[in-house]
Amino acid sequence: MARPKIDRDVVLHVAKLASLSLSDGEVDRFAAELERIVAHVEQLDALDTRDVPATAHVQLESAPWREDVVRPGLSREAALSQAPRVESGGFAVPPFVE
Amino acid sequence: MLEDLGVTQIAERVQRGELSAEKVAEQTLGRISALDGGLHAFLHVAGAEAIEQAREIDRKRSRGERLGAMAGVPVAIKDAICTRAQPTTAGSKILAEYLPPYDATVIERLRAADAVIVGKTNMDEFAMGSSTENSAFGPARNPWDAARTPGGSSGGSAAAVAARMTACALGSDTGGSIRQPASLTGTVGVKPTYGRVSRFGLIAFASSLDQIGPFATDVRGAARVLSVISGHDPRDSTSLAAPGGDLEAACGRTVRGLRIGMPAEYFAEGLDAEVSESVRAAVRELESEGCTVHPVQLPHTSFALATYYVLATAEASSNLARFDGVRYGLRVDPGGAPGRSGASDLRAMYGATRDAGFGAEVKRRILLGTFVLSAGYYDAYYLKAQKVRTLIRQDFQRAFAEVDVICSPTSPTTAFRLGEKVDDPLSMYLNDVYTLPANLAGIPAMSLPCAPSRAGMPVGLHVMARPFEEATMLAIAATWEARSPARALRPPVAAAAPQA
Repeated sequence: MARPKIDRDVVLHVAKLASLSLSDGEVDRFAAELERIVAHVEQLDALDTRDVPATAHVQLESAPWREDVVRPGLSREAALSQAPRVESGGFAVPPFVE
Repeated sequence: MLEDLGVTQIAERVQRGELSAEKVAEQTLGRISALDGGLHAFLHVAGAEAIEQAREIDRKRSRGERLGAMAGVPVAIKDAICTRAQPTTAGSKILAEYLPPYDATVIERLRAADAVIVGKTNMDEFAMGSSTENSAFGPARNPWDAARTPGGSSGGSAAAVAARMTACALGSDTGGSIRQPASLTGTVGVKPTYGRVSRFGLIAFASSLDQIGPFATDVRGAARVLSVISGHDPRDSTSLAAPGGDLEAACGRTVRGLRIGMPAEYFAEGLDAEVSESVRAAVRELESEGCTVHPVQLPHTSFALATYYVLATAEASSNLARFDGVRYGLRVDPGGAPGRSGASDLRAMYGATRDAGFGAEVKRRILLGTFVLSAGYYDAYYLKAQKVRTLIRQDFQRAFAEVDVICSPTSPTTAFRLGEKVDDPLSMYLNDVYTLPANLAGIPAMSLPCAPSRAGMPVGLHVMARPFEEATMLAIAATWEARSPARALRPPVAAAAPQA
């Protein structure tokens, strides 16, 4: 396929998908760096992979199953112990419903 | 002296009562405080906890209880592996204050074998790097030359073992992060077969590639640690009940008749001539021990780097989505009146937290990974790379039909200077060209020292084997180690250390 140009707009779009707020300087720098890296990745196009199956994972097919039984997890106190903000026994987040 | 003892020697002396675990822990902590100021191998030293663990082991022995395989052996742990109530930063500001509420499975197994956890080691942030220069807390240094990198991402673990602050350490290896630093510091480092060691409690980088493994001062020590941390864990659905026999016994096994493959693709452009000659000399020595040497082809080797950077960054972008300022780690609330703009407040908090918490390399990889997974590009990049991963696996399957192990250099050069490659991501990534195919194929691989360069810097011999055939790999490694000119060498910083 034709190679997409990695410019500021692409970086800003991807940064939004990835929940990253970038400074202006970062956007310019990452655009230039990603452009170079993606150009390197384009070499994969030289390989004909039409009839090649994809490998997502090397040996999930042989992984044993575990018993489907209830087992103890972290206590609520332990689970909340590292949260930056806790309210009424839960993780506190900024309001997100209008 | 303690620093001359390997893992198995320390354990045996503590088991027999010739050395107390407390004395070992005290000397180890003394050595760390004498040496680590110049090396920055550790991000956290667990002094009081280590002494308490050691005393408990000594009490256990005095009660007549049998001590485990790691009796009193101090272990340094890469800071990507969770240790309960002890700092675990993954080299990142976003986890600077994080105290995990649980131990990783490998930590539970080490403790159950009576090991002493002495501290957490420096690393590239989220294991993304080849020099530890991406650590948010400043780089580690190479004990052979403090102006140079110990490699990465598990550079702190490698430096700790090279300087003989500990006889062993744990690292993690996604594309070479155990083997490349082992090579650059003259230590033994093993990346096990994917699935041999539980990843439960390892802060994930690329889940289909990550594997925890040992560093040690000798091959037998690495085999001991690997045996202790191996095995199926119901908490990691990708861990397997690994066959493979007695790994330590394999270190004494004859290699006569084993077939060694030499891939031309690993001795090509970009390989330092001294590194090439050192590795070839090691293979010639193995030949004189009764191995046979055969050329093998791994024709898709040159595509491994591109494949890796698509797959690893895609997985990382997904794994690192969990760092959002809600359940653990840093949270940054952006300025402005809260509660006015609904959903945008939450998104702004995510963005501000992640922008402040992640370093440049982590952001770069999250962006690349998100890009290759995004609508319109998934097939062209991500799916394409998954297919090339299959071709790379098939290369190894074909080669291992002809030979028992494959030998190559671990890294194309000896340790480079801090700062030398930090501004050139692609050149930094090229450090891992010989190590990352093993992660893509899921096979075991290790690095151990061969003859150093003329400047006295360590060179690593890389040995790869079929899945779950660590025993064969270790037999080859132990045979070479017994003959290696690197065996008796110590880095200047280790030799110059005051007696604790």
